[in-house]
Amino acid sequence: MLEIRSARKVFYKGQADEKVALDGLSLSLATGEFGIVIGSNGAGKSSMLNAISGALVLDSGKILINGADVTAMPVHKRATRLARVFQDPMRGTAASMTVAENMLLADLRSQKRTLRQGLNAARLASYKERLSILGLGLENRLDTRVDLLSGGQRQSLSLIMAVGGSPDLLLLDEHTAALDPRTAEIVMQATVRAVNALKLTTLMVTHNMQHAVDYGSRVIMLDAGRVLLEVSGEEKARVTVIDLIGHFSVKTDRMLLAS
Amino acid sequence: MGLIQDVLTSFVAIMPVTLAQSLILAFVVLGIMIPFRMLNFPDLTSEGAFPLGGCVCGVLLAAGVSPLTCIVVAFAAGFAAGCCTAFIHLRFRIHTLLAGILMMTMLYSINLRIMGKSNLSVFGTPAVFDWVPFARPGYPASKIVVAGVLALIVFAALYMFFRTEKGTAVRAVGANPDMAEAQGINVWAATIGGVGLASAFSASSGALMVQSQGFADVNMGLGILINGLAALMIGEAVVGKQTVWRQLLAPFAGAIIYYQLVSFCLAAGMPPPDLKLATGLFVLAMLALPSLKRGRGPAPAREAIRE
Repeated sequence: MLEIRSARKVFYKGQADEKVALDGLSLSLATGEFGIVIGSNGAGKSSMLNAISGALVLDSGKILINGADVTAMPVHKRATRLARVFQDPMRGTAASMTVAENMLLADLRSQKRTLRQGLNAARLASYKERLSILGLGLENRLDTRVDLLSGGQRQSLSLIMAVGGSPDLLLLDEHTAALDPRTAEIVMQATVRAVNALKLTTLMVTHNMQHAVDYGSRVIMLDAGRVLLEVSGEEKARVTVIDLIGHFSVKTDRMLLAS
Repeated sequence: MGLIQDVLTSFVAIMPVTLAQSLILAFVVLGIMIPFRMLNFPDLTSEGAFPLGGCVCGVLLAAGVSPLTCIVVAFAAGFAAGCCTAFIHLRFRIHTLLAGILMMTMLYSINLRIMGKSNLSVFGTPAVFDWVPFARPGYPASKIVVAGVLALIVFAALYMFFRTEKGTAVRAVGANPDMAEAQGINVWAATIGGVGLASAFSASSGALMVQSQGFADVNMGLGILINGLAALMIGEAVVGKQTVWRQLLAPFAGAIIYYQLVSFCLAAGMPPPDLKLATGLFVLAMLALPSLKRGRGPAPAREAIRE
């Protein structure tokens, strides 16, 4: 379960270019819920995700994961509870390390790392099995350096790394935006399968309104650093792309074209 | 014909001495490689940590402390120096190179303070090299044995460490710090520990060098960094750097080859003052090679520079 209580963050406070990124934003996501976050550029989507992951320190407000207050925790401590897939495939993996080593890093996310050997036969076998779900052949390339993989393969690897170990919270930051349509579809399908199978509490940021309509149990629309609109349940099932776009304060054709 | 023979004779004659020296200095090369390649933290602390280890060792030897203890204390002093550099970079967001320059400049004064004077002779005090049986003290054989065994131990220990769960995490910090943090790795701890360990190796090298040459000097670190970098470049060109095994082997192989090359140049009559210029040109050439290979045409790197 995720709970954000009146989170506030102001950039460049007191200066001419002061920007309120989060304006008393409150949000709560029940365990197992799949929330889709939409909103125009600068609405506070990234700031919210960064505040949850710990990369952004709030001016005021609280963040709770499964009831535990994590507001004061640094990024690496919060990582034991949450996993994140970034928009940029380069950010989520260690390029100069092998596929297996990357899997190992994610595997130990919530554990204490010891001086025992990292990659052993049992672990390699389980990584092989987990990667084979994707059907991209990554399971046969465990010893390949990640920088030799394509963007789509890297992002798929990031996803498998993130959902491994069933994190309390999964954050997806426009994770299919940098991929070609076919690969984006593969990664999106794999995401939905994993989220449903593991019943992960998930927050996905997207600019793709079709994804917002097709997936998830709730749509959360941000504007100017707070929640403008929440659609869930029956209403969520009936909502269309046109409905969603109607709510954007700055209506642009780009949103339509993008969908 | 006679000239070539002379050159070869004098080169071969000093080969063992050079080998002993290169095995000792291999630890500096290791101390340069670890931050540079494993942590993506180009670090200059070695230039100050090497004489720091030497000065600490010199003072302790003169006070009658056992040579092994001297090395352990030098190791600890170097570790502290490296931790400071890493902390300066992390806490104040100062560029790693500038943090290293700051640290090595401050260490110069600290080294002078430790010794009380710029030069200290410890000739005749016991050294770790005396403990080798069957080798006459003062001869290079004992130095080769001691430094060689230490190099083997350190190589094996580091190789095993970088394959553990913790070691993989340290490498991830160098490969992608954002990702490492998101995977629950404490980037600060890994960076401070790693850079500290690297400087500790450089300082140990200084301590060994003092025991080998019989004196400590505050200026003994002058140019050690560029020598070490040249050795690392050669090592990586010869054994490669694609795997942990090769990357760890490179400093040792590089140090041995580089110092033999230097000794050959000197034997061939190169004036010693020109050595730093030659080394600098060599490092430049090695660093420039990839961009030269890319050739003319609209290279992406050049476009990036123009922007």
